[in-house]
Amino acid sequence: MPRVKSSVRARARHKKYLKLAKGFRGGRRRLYRSAREAVERGLAFAYRDRKVRKREFRSLWITRINAAVRPLGLSYSRFISGTKKAGIALDRKVLADLAIYDPPGFARIAELARQAG
Amino acid sequence: MKTYVGREAEVQKKWYLVDGQGQVLGRLSSQIAMILRGKTKPVYTPHADVGDFVVVVNAEQLRLTGKKLDNKVYYRHTGYIGSIKSITARKLLDKKPDEVLRSAVRGMLPKNSLGRRLLKKLKIYAGDQHPHQSQQPEVLTLAK
Repeated sequence: MPRVKSSVRARARHKKYLKLAKGFRGGRRRLYRSAREAVERGLAFAYRDRKVRKREFRSLWITRINAAVRPLGLSYSRFISGTKKAGIALDRKVLADLAIYDPPGFARIAELARQAG
Repeated sequence: MKTYVGREAEVQKKWYLVDGQGQVLGRLSSQIAMILRGKTKPVYTPHADVGDFVVVVNAEQLRLTGKKLDNKVYYRHTGYIGSIKSITARKLLDKKPDEVLRSAVRGMLPKNSLGRRLLKKLKIYAGDQHPHQSQQPEVLTLAK
């Protein structure tokens, strides 16, 4: 059986991590041990935050809808309850977009929601 | 379609005028903080300053409920040993009426560089005069 030394695998492994550590600062880009730690941590955050992002956007849409709907005499909660009862299938993302790009249209939806609610 | 991201350059910023006379400090502050932050507009963007300006006049006539005029104490530390200074709300309202409202609003804004920038849009004056006539501030009707 031929003798196997670790250098080839080790170099490949080091390269893999150092490649992912591009753009990091100082030793975290250059030194393998620091880089590996930083990369693993970074990937863990990235995995978690792909899920967190969905929550954050939903909460941003809710804040925006609330801001748009209050001058029309409704609260967010009454508005959403009204849209459900009126059978309006638009989601929060679309509603928030409408509030910005089409205020008159949004006002009509709010009116429908008010009547249903 | 991507969710709209507010850019500070393209968002129109209005000016609001508030008469502080007889307003309760905290209740007024929370509404001012909402406006400065931009949460009253559908273009609200958490990382950008999209809020409006607020001018407050008659800041010395703000109201504090209960015994807070004497019991509410403002602390600050000069950095030297044993040099914590304190002043009661009554004295501060007398000495620097704008600081009472400003510190209340500051506490309701984000504690970071964005928060500090937002606070600069709050202009507070004792007395009923203010130098922002040319911005044509709109009188703010307070929600409840």
